[in-house]
Amino acid sequence: MIDQLRQTCRKLLEEGAVNVVIGYGQDKPSMMPHPVFITKPEETERLVWNDLCFANLAAYVTRKEIKALGKPAVIVKGCDERALVVLEQESQFTRDGIYVIGMACDGVGNPRAAKCASCAVRTPRYADVTIGEAKPATPAADGEFAQLDEFMKKTPVERLAYWKSEFSRCVKCYACREVCPMCYCTRQGGRCLVDKNRPTAIDTSATLKGNLAWHIARAFHQAGRCVGCDECTRACPAGINLRLLNQSLAKAAGRAFAYKAGMDPETPPVIGSYSLEDKENFIQ
Amino acid sequence: MSDVISKNDLLRLVDQWLAEGKRVLGPVKTGGGVILYAPLAASGQLVLDGFVHPANSIKEAVFPRSETIYTYTFNGQEIELSDVDPDCTQCIVIGARPCDAAALPVLDHLFNWDYQDKFYNARRAATTVVTLACTEHDDDCFCTSVGLGPASEQGSDAMLITAPDNRYEIRALTDKGQALFAGKTSAAEIKVPISDGPAKKFDTVDIETFLKNNYESDAWRDITMRCLGCGACAYNCPTCHCFDIVDEGDASGGRRVKNWDSCQFGQFTVHASGHNPRAVQAQRQRQRIQHKFRIYPEKFGAILCTGCGTCTRNCPVGLGVLNTLEAIAVIARASIEVK
Amino acid sequence: MSDATGFEPKIVAFVCNWCTYLGADLAGTNRLEYPPNVRIVRLPCTGRIDFNLIIKGFEMGADAVIVSGCHPGDCHYTAGNYHARRRWTLFRELLETLGFEMDRIHFAWISAAEGKKFQQFITEITEKTRALGPYTAYREICEAAR
Repeated sequence: MIDQLRQTCRKLLEEGAVNVVIGYGQDKPSMMPHPVFITKPEETERLVWNDLCFANLAAYVTRKEIKALGKPAVIVKGCDERALVVLEQESQFTRDGIYVIGMACDGVGNPRAAKCASCAVRTPRYADVTIGEAKPATPAADGEFAQLDEFMKKTPVERLAYWKSEFSRCVKCYACREVCPMCYCTRQGGRCLVDKNRPTAIDTSATLKGNLAWHIARAFHQAGRCVGCDECTRACPAGINLRLLNQSLAKAAGRAFAYKAGMDPETPPVIGSYSLEDKENFIQ
Repeated sequence: MSDVISKNDLLRLVDQWLAEGKRVLGPVKTGGGVILYAPLAASGQLVLDGFVHPANSIKEAVFPRSETIYTYTFNGQEIELSDVDPDCTQCIVIGARPCDAAALPVLDHLFNWDYQDKFYNARRAATTVVTLACTEHDDDCFCTSVGLGPASEQGSDAMLITAPDNRYEIRALTDKGQALFAGKTSAAEIKVPISDGPAKKFDTVDIETFLKNNYESDAWRDITMRCLGCGACAYNCPTCHCFDIVDEGDASGGRRVKNWDSCQFGQFTVHASGHNPRAVQAQRQRQRIQHKFRIYPEKFGAILCTGCGTCTRNCPVGLGVLNTLEAIAVIARASIEVK
Repeated sequence: MSDATGFEPKIVAFVCNWCTYLGADLAGTNRLEYPPNVRIVRLPCTGRIDFNLIIKGFEMGADAVIVSGCHPGDCHYTAGNYHARRRWTLFRELLETLGFEMDRIHFAWISAAEGKKFQQFITEITEKTRALGPYTAYREICEAAR
């Protein structure tokens, strides 16, 4: 797979079809694979592909430093491609403005990351070129929310105690925000809600109040947009269980509106749209 | 003859400190499975081996992530300000890595430069640091490249060295360290080897020269392209000390707080006019390295880095100071001055 | 009507200008009494009500928060309340996962003609909240020190 990937990228750069390849490299054997930005055909030898290629490279497509390099080719796993679908729905790029190289993937991490057990997109579906064998889709993902269902058996008091303990470790480094492909508000030269002042919407301080408000805001701004790549959870230096929080909204979107982010570019985004038939049982 | 303490006696001592109302900070395995320096509730939480370095630093003992510096209340047209007394609770850091302790004397320069920061100084005076000499290192450690090592004494009040039979040798390095363990140790004839630490990975003189001569180099952009601009490096770094001052309150009053800030955030240098002198990530990363390896040394005679590797381990995209410097060192050795 | 401890719940109601606010006004002009515990915040439309406002309400010391607007199909801006309905359906799930006390958050459709409903609704929520007591869990979170 790696040879085909390098050849494909080399050709793209030689022909000038793209100006930069956003992929994974591993400049030192002791390092984990990390994002690389290849602009010269001969440097495509730096590209690697293995089951430690965690980063969601869709996060770079909206960054102005990357846009300045020209038309990119982006290497994506299935989960990363879902992020591209959401970004395109939100007009963050035009489809002909990027070249998508899909990599068939049977999971990342040793042991496998939690998200991989219920992955329904082992082969990217909308790429310009897909590399690797088509892996069979994982059987029905009824285990997808198993951890969350277990968690919801706790009482509200227990749940709050859990989150208080989790968020007490948050130092507001915003690694969760920056790795997320969907958190692009800062990247357009604008401001994230937490950076707004006059008036302040969310306390910037890393107090329990400020941390809770921040994580509520980020989780909710991801409602129906988060594709479950879990990069935020991996990036958090304090090991906060952000995956659980994001999953609660993904589960809600699926149950209430039969919606799953990034699966179908034709389905209207769940929060950006509405239906006259929407049902609820909590409004008096 | 050396002073020795058994692990059990050490843990008993920790419980005693806690019972005396002291704050004790040490490596703890937290909810996410991540090992962090955190306040202990009991000695049983302390983790002293089985890992190379916690994911954060001990700087919270002297420089908390959020600190109230005064409060204010509105009284009609009047504003009443109330000072907040700096926290002088006795604090003991137990099991600090030498690279974390070494950061404290480095930070002392900044917090006593043009302003004597009473909050920092009060906490600093009330904190005793007990280091644990390192027995292992990983590929991200580079203390030896910045003049330190696995058993550095800089910033430490007392050093523990792992000894056979579940014991530690204790070397009291300051009066504070002496006072802490006085009468708590026994004498023994033991010789504990000190590990060599990582091989040197770069020369700080080479780095400083490169930094002086290559401010405008395209290399900055190329090396740091993957940086996402979060604060995972700066916030967990033992020497990073930038802070933001904000008011938090409502119509009745509030408090002025000092919070950690990171030079990697896009908004860090935004002016009131909207102009941003460090508008792209390459400029921000350049500044970080310049600050740590040229500007701070020129100003205070100390490198603003202790080679702990925490930035690299935490970086979601595998950047960090070491990788940046190694990339720079490659260019410096090839003597390329790219324009 | 305070209980033995004298606790008076603080309730914040975020309401839309065209329906619920006018409904409240109608309750007023008809001299329908309802408890004074509610603080009404008027916004143009429920579609404008940011989830953040609900959190802010609790941060500022509310013991209960109400969000109310036009009935589906009657939104002055045509579809604002449809968007709001979607948003709240998801937001409630998030709050439940976090362990919020869900019986302190209330949603309603109250039209400009429903002065009586407004009176009954506010009275009911005030009594419910009085019985629950102050939202001490959230107060603790908002204490300045970590």
